[in-house]
Amino acid sequence: MPKHPSSGKYAIVGLGVIAGNQPDKSERMIAAEAARLAIEDAGLTRKDITGAIDLRRSGGGGDRASYSDAFTRVLGLSNNYYYINGRGGALAGLGMATAMSFIDRGISDYVCLMGAVTDWSQAQESKKKGYRGMAHAEKRGYWGKFVGDSTAVSHHSWMAARHMAVYGTTSRQLGAISVAQRQWAQMNPEARMYGRPITIEDHQNSPLLAEPYHMLDMSLVSDGAVAFILTSAERAKDLKSKPAYVMGQGFGEVSSTVWWDKKNFTHMAVEPAKKQAFGQAGIELKDIDCVQFYDCFTAEVLFQIEDYGFCKKGEGGAFVEAGNMAPGGTIPINTSGGLLSCYHLGDLTGLAESVRQIRGDAGQRQVKDCELVMTTGHGGELVSPGMCSIHTCTILGANP
Amino acid sequence: MSESNVITVTAEWKKPRPSIDHDNEAFFDGLKQHKFLIWKCKTCGAAYWPKAYCQHHDNEPFAANMDWAEAKGTGKIYAFNKHHTAFSPGFKDEIPYWYALVELDEGPLVSSTLVGDKRPKDIYDIGQKVEVVYEDHPNEGFTIPKFRIIG
Repeated sequence: MPKHPSSGKYAIVGLGVIAGNQPDKSERMIAAEAARLAIEDAGLTRKDITGAIDLRRSGGGGDRASYSDAFTRVLGLSNNYYYINGRGGALAGLGMATAMSFIDRGISDYVCLMGAVTDWSQAQESKKKGYRGMAHAEKRGYWGKFVGDSTAVSHHSWMAARHMAVYGTTSRQLGAISVAQRQWAQMNPEARMYGRPITIEDHQNSPLLAEPYHMLDMSLVSDGAVAFILTSAERAKDLKSKPAYVMGQGFGEVSSTVWWDKKNFTHMAVEPAKKQAFGQAGIELKDIDCVQFYDCFTAEVLFQIEDYGFCKKGEGGAFVEAGNMAPGGTIPINTSGGLLSCYHLGDLTGLAESVRQIRGDAGQRQVKDCELVMTTGHGGELVSPGMCSIHTCTILGANP
Repeated sequence: MSESNVITVTAEWKKPRPSIDHDNEAFFDGLKQHKFLIWKCKTCGAAYWPKAYCQHHDNEPFAANMDWAEAKGTGKIYAFNKHHTAFSPGFKDEIPYWYALVELDEGPLVSSTLVGDKRPKDIYDIGQKVEVVYEDHPNEGFTIPKFRIIG
């Protein structure tokens, strides 16, 4: 399949990660520090950064940055523009798509994209008032809050429930996803759950919070930041880090067809996103060496395994139970430990891991001869609790 | 509509209030009159919830070809979960509660919690027929729809 002319023309050349709980630090300092690390990693200076994008769960929504505390001002970047981009857990994919336009037209040479959260620290505060989880990030919502749709798991668990009822998937099969990702996390010292392996019995014995979901079906609540530098492939050649080339990107919205067909509780908007991303890259699924699927809950991983075609629809449970996504399996999935076991910075978690896998910097968990990585984003309900979410697919490559 | 389809609660409301705006105030007014309204196309009869332009053909400005109409108030369980934890403190006295996604007989999906005596036996047990129960909160000025398994 021929590549699209844009494939391999842009690259990620710097990466900065602040992982782990940061109880004594502000979000703006975590953000600025991640950006500083990314610039340093690329071998650039602050003056080289001529564009900046702040990746947030809801641009213009409740967690909007006030413009006086933007990381760009704190760090002192030379950017000509700064704005907020992102939707739910779809951050890096959307941010990159817009950043490329600035690079393409010569407006920016190097764009710094950064996402930071202090969710863990804020959740410690709301816990004192009787809340559990991400109360600080919950929007008022169009429907549901007043009947107990309190947080993401209140409706995301329907996805697991519906898949179980329609296809006979079991809680133990969902647990196999948790266990596999925890196995990967044991090879990642940066992971929150490093040094804390689990068994399928641990998953089954973890508290049932919103049945069918156990606590171990749910992603982590984290502090931290990921920043990265995007530039043209031409400029990338002369920099100190090995470039991770952008081979293809695609996007899909559940509100286009899936929601109307009432398939949004068993499917994600993968079809258009896959077609665009794989078409641009000129590749097929079998060419992918390593996958970072968005994994806010276990069922999202299951859906994507099926929707991308690693197995047939409805057979994801058996696929994961057989160990296919775990270390030693047929396709390495969520090799950092993902949102379930590493840290939750939206799709930036998978983006950071993808860059490391392409560079060969993933330590013990490095996938051998890793040349093509797929990383996805998901989130941002249009009609809460209707699960009307975006899906983003980005393919990074070692060779342009 | 039998009397048993109405519950009156006078206790103080300690949960988040419904988000009522220009697009759904008619729906919430309908609930107070113990009617479950859905948004229907006057041209082709297609039913929606919440409000939308008709997806089947061109629309008049501001979807003037659409209007609220009374639904049967029955449907079946499409999926559900069982909350063992109150993520928001207002629900502490209610756990465990069953939060269900219901496919109305007219088509749209709507969600609320289950009331009454019957519950699904496990997570695989879906498709039960349900009917709307109206939970009146006269002191608060709103009515909330709940669902009860019938038959």
